[in-house]
Amino acid sequence: MDTSDAYIIRPNHRHKFKPAVVRECIREIVRERLSAAKYDPKEVSEQSRSLADCVRDKVKCAGFDRYKLVVQVVIGEQRGQGVKMMSRCLWDADTDNYAEDVFFNFVLCGDCFWNLLLLRIRRYSIRDER
Amino acid sequence: MSRVHTLHSIPVCVQSIEVTIGDNAYQQNRVNQWTTNVVEQSLSQLSKLGKPFKYIVTCVIMQKTGAGVQSASACFWDNTTDGNCSVTWENKSMYCIVSVFGLAI
Repeated sequence: MDTSDAYIIRPNHRHKFKPAVVRECIREIVRERLSAAKYDPKEVSEQSRSLADCVRDKVKCAGFDRYKLVVQVVIGEQRGQGVKMMSRCLWDADTDNYAEDVFFNFVLCGDCFWNLLLLRIRRYSIRDER
Repeated sequence: MSRVHTLHSIPVCVQSIEVTIGDNAYQQNRVNQWTTNVVEQSLSQLSKLGKPFKYIVTCVIMQKTGAGVQSASACFWDNTTDGNCSVTWENKSMYCIVSVFGLAI
């Protein structure tokens, strides 16, 4: 019976969370889903939720065992407002990490009104130490 | 994160927002400092609670111009021990959304 996994406290370098790999996953999903999308207040709730679920499911399959995942998606309609997003974490810097992607979408409407989608996805990964 | 701990996190976030921003109007050159202060104060107060959690705190400050904003999250964790809470605060010129995710050690 192989119980070696139960005694591993820290991941070795091959199993650590890799932000570059995850950033590519996020980028692919976001570009596929949002390139031609327009901000619609009725649909954005469902859109952001399904995007977060999709990113989480894809990263689960990327092979980071024993990691807990938190995916946060923020979608904003751009009307010339200023916006700033910031985060801080209290975690184990050796094992835990994050990947993020920002996406802007330019859609020209019939009356020359620019709708821009600002998307920031932050995906945090925290190692389960139990 | 138990319901009790979630409830303790909310006033911590609200207090850090009110102390940092208060009644100030949105200013482009100060928003960097505000977001940093809100997040760092929330995190330091949460760590002073002394619970065995890892925390992720995010803050979004957006100027009020009639634009819409939506935030969503999806998590892969242990539902019995981990949790999150979200605080939305506003004054006359801006919105502030603070989200706290707590993951048990």
